Amino acid sequence: MALQDYRKEMIMCCRCSYCKFIPLEKIEGVRNASVCPSISRFNFHAYSGGGRLNFGMAMLEKKIDYSDKLLEVVYNCQMCGGCDISCKYGMDMEVLDPINEMRIQCVDDGHTLKALDGVMNRLRKQGTMVPGAKAKRGEWAEGLDVKDFTTQKTKVIFHAGCRTCFDKDMWSVAQSAVKLLQKAGADVGIAGEKELCCGSRAYQTGYKEDFLNQAKKNMEMFKKAGAVVLVTGCADCSYGFKVLYDKFGMKGQLEVLHITEYLDRLIKDGKLKPEKKVALNVTYHDPCHLGRLGEPYIHWQGKQIPGQIRIFEPAKEFRRGTHGVYQPPREVLGSIPGIKLMEMDRKKEYAWCCGAGGGVIETNPEFAQWTASERIKEAEASGAGAIVTACPGCERSFKDAIKESGSSLKVYDVVELAAESIGERG
Amino acid sequence: MALKRDLYRALEDVVGPENVTEDPVILYSYAWRSGLIATPQLFVPTFEAVTLPKNTEEVQAIVKLCNRHKIQFKASSTGWGCYCDPTGPGVIKLDLRRMDRIIEINEKNMYAVVEPYVIYAQLQGELMKRGLVCNITGAGSNCSALPMAAHANLGHMSQSASYGERNLLGVEWVAPDGEIVRLGALGSSSQWFCGDGPGPSLRGIIRGNTVPLGGLGVYTKAAQKVYHWAGPATFPTEGVSPDYAVKEIPAGFMVRYIHFKSEDIMVEAVRKVGESEIGFILMGFNPAMVSGNKARNNEEDLELLKRYTDEVQGPGFLLIIAGNSPDDFEYKKETLELIMKQFNGKSLKDVEDPENAGGFIWRFTRVTGSLRETCRATGCFGGEVGGTDVFGLMRTYISRASKLKQSLIDKGLLHDDGTDPFVQSIEHGHQGHGELLIRYDPNNPESAMAAREIFMTANMTAVEGKFGVPHHVWSDEIHDMYGPHASNYTKWLRKIKKTFDPNAASESSHYISSKE
Amino acid sequence: MVEEKLAKIVGARNVMRGESELNDYAKNFSFVNAFRPRCIVKAETAGQIEKIVKLANDTATPLVPVSSGPPHFRGDTVPGTGGAVVVDLSGMKKITRVDRTNRVAMFEPGVTYRELMAAVAKEGMRLNLPLLPRKNKAVVGHLLEREPPVMPKYHWDIGDPLSCLEIIFGNGEMFRTGAAAGPGSLEDQWAAGGAQKEAAGPSSASWYRIIQGAQGTMGIVTWASIRCELLPSLEEPFLVGSDNLDKIMEMVHWLIRLRLVNECLVMNNCDLAVIMAKKFPEDYQIIKDSLPTWALFCNIAGYEYLPEKRVSGQIKDMKAAARRAGLETGQALGKVIASELLAAVQCPSREPYWKLRYKGACHDIFFLSLYDKLPEFIRIMQDAADEAGYPASDLGIYLQPVVQGTSCHCEFNLFYNPDNAGDITRVKELSNSVTRKLLNAGAFFSRPYGESAGMIINRDAATAAALKKVKLITDPNNIMNPGKLCF
Repeated sequence: MALQDYRKEMIMCCRCSYCKFIPLEKIEGVRNASVCPSISRFNFHAYSGGGRLNFGMAMLEKKIDYSDKLLEVVYNCQMCGGCDISCKYGMDMEVLDPINEMRIQCVDDGHTLKALDGVMNRLRKQGTMVPGAKAKRGEWAEGLDVKDFTTQKTKVIFHAGCRTCFDKDMWSVAQSAVKLLQKAGADVGIAGEKELCCGSRAYQTGYKEDFLNQAKKNMEMFKKAGAVVLVTGCADCSYGFKVLYDKFGMKGQLEVLHITEYLDRLIKDGKLKPEKKVALNVTYHDPCHLGRLGEPYIHWQGKQIPGQIRIFEPAKEFRRGTHGVYQPPREVLGSIPGIKLMEMDRKKEYAWCCGAGGGVIETNPEFAQWTASERIKEAEASGAGAIVTACPGCERSFKDAIKESGSSLKVYDVVELAAESIGERG
Repeated sequence: MALKRDLYRALEDVVGPENVTEDPVILYSYAWRSGLIATPQLFVPTFEAVTLPKNTEEVQAIVKLCNRHKIQFKASSTGWGCYCDPTGPGVIKLDLRRMDRIIEINEKNMYAVVEPYVIYAQLQGELMKRGLVCNITGAGSNCSALPMAAHANLGHMSQSASYGERNLLGVEWVAPDGEIVRLGALGSSSQWFCGDGPGPSLRGIIRGNTVPLGGLGVYTKAAQKVYHWAGPATFPTEGVSPDYAVKEIPAGFMVRYIHFKSEDIMVEAVRKVGESEIGFILMGFNPAMVSGNKARNNEEDLELLKRYTDEVQGPGFLLIIAGNSPDDFEYKKETLELIMKQFNGKSLKDVEDPENAGGFIWRFTRVTGSLRETCRATGCFGGEVGGTDVFGLMRTYISRASKLKQSLIDKGLLHDDGTDPFVQSIEHGHQGHGELLIRYDPNNPESAMAAREIFMTANMTAVEGKFGVPHHVWSDEIHDMYGPHASNYTKWLRKIKKTFDPNAASESSHYISSKE
Repeated sequence: MVEEKLAKIVGARNVMRGESELNDYAKNFSFVNAFRPRCIVKAETAGQIEKIVKLANDTATPLVPVSSGPPHFRGDTVPGTGGAVVVDLSGMKKITRVDRTNRVAMFEPGVTYRELMAAVAKEGMRLNLPLLPRKNKAVVGHLLEREPPVMPKYHWDIGDPLSCLEIIFGNGEMFRTGAAAGPGSLEDQWAAGGAQKEAAGPSSASWYRIIQGAQGTMGIVTWASIRCELLPSLEEPFLVGSDNLDKIMEMVHWLIRLRLVNECLVMNNCDLAVIMAKKFPEDYQIIKDSLPTWALFCNIAGYEYLPEKRVSGQIKDMKAAARRAGLETGQALGKVIASELLAAVQCPSREPYWKLRYKGACHDIFFLSLYDKLPEFIRIMQDAADEAGYPASDLGIYLQPVVQGTSCHCEFNLFYNPDNAGDITRVKELSNSVTRKLLNAGAFFSRPYGESAGMIINRDAATAAALKKVKLITDPNNIMNPGKLCF
């Protein structure tokens, strides 16, 4: 695809500003009505989902050309998909896909940001998109008695992800995850030092070729292991494997589950029993790539039926966030005695982003932190003492924001609370 | 045309460099065509610069700069309508996005004061927590809650909660010459509850049944009447977008779509419903607007449209009843039953179905019109909108104006959603309003021309048929079609423009110019 | 001479210059400095008025339009400059149309309340009346004055119940407001189904708002249309008494908010006694002494469908609102029977005009207020009255919720003996001093009359400047009632 291929989507934008707000039915007051961190921070219309389509059309129509400003606007976006979901409440059109395609177009045309080029260099050389060295990738699992699926057949692959591997604060979560899977009798293995980045973030920042390279290498590895299920604790990776790999026809029959989905299943099957009380008032943050963007990819081949109304043959089903992974993490939390869940105003398909996505941490860390701090304020307003989520990227973003603001809010992963209750802390 | 550097620097001094730009990436995002009455022309002329003022003082400073430097300005809030756009070069935009506060909600005297970028969804959410509601613009609660921002500010609730021209109270107005005029009690005693006086009311200058559409300065704050809400702060909604469902209808609420054998019978039924004062919302939707509102995609829309069209016996209206007490609800319900019996009105099953009813009530109260009914089908909507005179007249006008629609549908130039127009009742039937909404592919030049044909034919119908000056009348061209037939009102409107905007600084291509 | 030219327009018998006639038209109960007009001209048609206004422009002759018969109270209908011609419209008595379907009636400026009420009643309709208008008060007069009506439920906008009007602007041009503007003549519009009901417009200005509140400074109105309501088929009036105004206003808020009542107004015992008493001072004192400080009067009504059910339900809800406020409702309060008060407020005042019954004259001070500020304003008034030696026990207070409860018209009735120079001086000085105090405390004098008008309007320089711009549009030669407001 090229940006031109999304012209028919982009041309549908009617300038209604739905993309700036959470779905209108869900707005409960003046606070927390916005869904888009980018326009909330920068205010000019170009920073909104619709605005991006609009200047994207200007590019296609050769009204504007590449410039520093263009790249600045393009990359000041966490690719969180909030605009996409809000628009699709009322419209039958794609929003996030053309926005992503614009980044791909920028990269293909040789217009990139230094910061992201640096990230890609690291990916190519060290196999990671966060700072770290390939050789140290497996250190998180030291001491963990777990199969290496690169050398042994394994049914269930646990993929830690770059953020977890290279952020010591996240190691215990990954260790807990593996132990819980093992306790439940899963035939689980990891790749350790040989684990490869999923490439999801590369795709979201426009480096499509790098993503496809990672995808190819990963799928070769998974096939060789004979894996049936891939489990990960990172929402971004989960999105990459489940949605993007499928989009490019590379996923095959591999079932991709986020760890919270798997834990939910295991708890319901009685294979794991959260019995120890964990007395905590928590609020749950839906990671964008697990929640609204976490629903399966929909393959569709067809065309628009000529005529006035926009309908397709065969009928086209749009991914609107309806089938994202919202309940399983909540079910897991709900099964832990002592946990009281206090929802934030913005949740599920219209959750506010943690700030970490889309390359923003690298290109504009101040914006990433601002976004996270807005979420922390919202979490505090819920009355909870802790914010729980299901993605190391979100957790890092929140921890940094809390440190900066001096908030007393705690940050947990669903896994670590489950492990605490089940008695398998890593 | 690049702005002179001293002007640009002055704008930076006013709002800060991060809140003004003339970069083409930004300018072209604002120049994308609106989905309202769209044509194949994808981009309108760009603004010379976009500013983001934070408060009234900054707005005033920008307006004064424009006067001094002989450049025009145009302000908007969410910027949906085509009338937010310039029609030529030499205009600076005031994007009022940073002015987003609710200033006051006075529960005892029942009014709310907002800045321009509070959207109706936000205001309604806050009001409902307090047992109050406001009349939301019918285009949708994604629009500004300032009663001066929308084209007319009629809405779904106008039956019981009137509309912008009559709900408006105190207003803070930055006039085109940069003077700040605070209308009514606001100017005299810093209070919002009254926008009229002392003496004659300047509310008469700043709007009529339509607003000046950006051509008479900037409205930076305004108060509006709010009304009693008998329901809960929020309906218990289940599901994930777009499959929201309200499983339980709160006590005291009822919704029906009632259809009748003929237009005349329906008009009489509307009159009786109005005179008995039982309606919270009364909207004369056609089946397409009901199907559009419920459907989650275009395919479902078409399927529901067919089902509803096959079921109805003729034109109808959607009615929501809200009881302020159990007795009140019983009275309203029983009265409705009598009226339905009297006029042989029947209820559309899908709306009455408890599975769906709650969702209809919720959406019409909190969202009003949504993209589903307007832009989803084809990417744009247009047509023409009548005035706000008596209900029977407005119904007759819009029915006559809609006669052309079928032939254009038959030619494949418009989306086929039936030819029944839409009408609504205002203030318990004292007045009414009608619209002929059409949806068409804006990229098809013939469709765009068909839209224009409907529009111009409707104008001729209004003039020849003596149906008043419709709301869709804006710009010199169209005003001048009506002026000579309607007390030469254009002459007087131009005098207002000239008097209050001596330098023609307020871009008025969607209002009226001061040309002789 | 102007008078000769006027005679050519209206006929010699309609131009009056007699001494006593001129004096009559210069007389009124306000304290403004009144000038004697140079003549009175009685107009009978819009065409005549158009010519009169054109003549006035050509000869720089001030015009003062009057539609009601005497007595006048506010000073807006007496010339504020010398050499003025009073244009008397009281003879224009045509009721052009009564439209039941669209609940509207059209009539000329000389039509009084009784005349119009009779006409609309034939069609099962009624007017949203102000409180006890005097017998020869022209309906148009009150509509143009934005006089508050007694049914706040039907008072959606401060301009109600005015719909459309036809005016000869001060520059001599004729204009029709709202739906009446056109296209088409009135007859054309009726044939099409129009009813000159919509007040706003045409298009992006609402000229009727500029004409209301203008005290005849914009032009001369030649007809108006009025929004009508339906005559109820069943009514149940109630009275509620209390010394605690906060409780009363709390109940008022809910009665209006829930749309439970038609007529709804509050008075102090003095005003209520003045209205109900047949003899002074005996009846008056007995009635007054039987009442608490405040009386809330409200009326519940049913219409075509299930009137009994509606009324009984609303009575139940009204009583609940009363209980919440710690009040009780009844069909009588002291010596006042609710049904008798209802009969009174649904008609113009019986003679003599109620405000003149007590002492022979009355000066009104009125403004708009939020509910919460009423006690403060009342205290200011009472303190000022005490200070001026005006007996607070004689002070009438009328509180009328307006615009469906968004504010409250607060009116102080200062009854006085017009034959007593001391009384006159006291009331005049009190009025001036307390107006300033009330202004400073935040009272909004939306309708400034008389001597205080300048002080009130000048408080808001930007509005005054804008109004002057409007005046230049409609009356560039300032021939319409010069000296009024800020013109």
